[in-house]
Amino acid sequence: MEHFDYLFAAYSIIFLVIFGYVIFMWRQQARLEVEIHAMEERLKNLKTTQSSADAKSAAQK
Amino acid sequence: MKNKATAMLGWSTLIMMLVALFMVFEWVPTEEDQGIVQRIFYFHVPCAWVAFAAFGVVAISGVFYLWLKEQLFDDLGYAAAEIGMVFCTLVLITGSLWAKPIWGVWWTWDSRLTTTFILWLLYGGYLMLRSIADDTPEVARFSAVIGIVAALDVPVVVLSVRLWRTIHPAVLITRAGEHGLEDPRMVVTLLVSLAAFTALFGWMLMLRLSQLRTRSRLMIIRRDVALIEAAAGDY
Amino acid sequence: MAAFAAVLRKDLRVEIRSGQSTIALFALSLLIMVVLVFALSPQPADRARDGAAALWVALVFAGMLGATRSMIAENENGCIRALTLSPIDPAALYGAKLTAAFAFMAIVEVAAVVLITLFFNLDFGADLVRLAPSLMLGTLGFAALATLLAAISSRTRAGDLLLPILAIPLFIPAIIAGVKSSEAALSGFPLAAASQWLGILVAFDVLFVTVGALLFEHVIRED
Repeated sequence: MEHFDYLFAAYSIIFLVIFGYVIFMWRQQARLEVEIHAMEERLKNLKTTQSSADAKSAAQK
Repeated sequence: MKNKATAMLGWSTLIMMLVALFMVFEWVPTEEDQGIVQRIFYFHVPCAWVAFAAFGVVAISGVFYLWLKEQLFDDLGYAAAEIGMVFCTLVLITGSLWAKPIWGVWWTWDSRLTTTFILWLLYGGYLMLRSIADDTPEVARFSAVIGIVAALDVPVVVLSVRLWRTIHPAVLITRAGEHGLEDPRMVVTLLVSLAAFTALFGWMLMLRLSQLRTRSRLMIIRRDVALIEAAAGDY
Repeated sequence: MAAFAAVLRKDLRVEIRSGQSTIALFALSLLIMVVLVFALSPQPADRARDGAAALWVALVFAGMLGATRSMIAENENGCIRALTLSPIDPAALYGAKLTAAFAFMAIVEVAAVVLITLFFNLDFGADLVRLAPSLMLGTLGFAALATLLAAISSRTRAGDLLLPILAIPLFIPAIIAGVKSSEAALSGFPLAAASQWLGILVAFDVLFVTVGALLFEHVIRED
């Protein structure tokens, strides 16, 4: 079992790095989803207020 | 539908990875000259393969982006470069961990080591451009150009560095034209690891790509919101 | 062809009137060599190797500065926008910029060769003439790459930092080949001794001049 430490280190680093990257992706995904929902909500609100504003200005004419 | 495919690929990657690990640590015979550290090889080579494949995807998506101007190819290039960089880093680390007990040094300026290191620098620069220039609209075009130029640089790098020096063991294809793995079980283990890593690459690429697609969509929505808000300010 | 000549003439005229990039390039390469002399403390036995190394370090870093300066000047006064709006073939524009960059660097290199001869106790003679092919090929490759990359880096934030990060890894094969062939020339070997290295430099030049001419359009076009 000579140099087992090198072998162990190599395989642990491979899995640590890959897991680290996957976790980074997952966290970013969660953040993106929150933000995109918020933005879509805002866009919907804006569109309704805008269309009512359009209707108002049309009525004034 | 797409999520289902990603999940299925993810589970099969996990299973293949476990099988590969079992083969590497339990099943395959120990190589006589190098002893137990030789087993690093079974994951070292697949990491290199994924890195090269990923950098290839960067170049191809760069060509397609400049040609078709589809945001998809920009996102694909970004995702592949990032994943390629992760695996290129792993190649360098695992290579070092093998070299120390076998060659007695962590690092030497051998041709394959040097080439891999130059690749690492090249795509490090590419990702640096991406992160620094994130706020300019031209970044997609710039990155596509750099991705293509970097890939074209690789053959010249290989040529010049090979002429410069080489001591890396030629395991897969030796000078006699045969491979240097004496036991057929070693070949099988390597092939299973390669398959597992290819699946892992596909899975990570799908995950990261769909994420970058979401990000691009978010940018568009943000722009729309800003436009409407600006227009609303005029009332 | 007329467009190529016009843009080249403009760049050369600006340079002749101000002398800005050539002087900056020369000053920087002089300083790099001074640093290297103290860093290496040249020994007579290694003078060919040290001289070749100093020459290429100076070439790479001074060239980077020159390329950045030239593209920043183009962007500052909006000249590059005017050039891209005009019906000039981007490849001709690239060719003109490349030729100008090559010319400035070549002038500075003549001075740099004189400097290394003095600093590293080399002889003025045929060896220096044999240096020409390796230096000229290396300069052409560097100018080809730097012209393309400076167009990118000059339009991004922290571009002066980005240019070396992008350019140096790409330029490594030419650095290896250039240093080896320059060392052979300074050690008094005939040109044939470095033919493999010169071949790599030629391949590098052909590749990057072509790629630059083809891709320059995608870099400068505004959408």
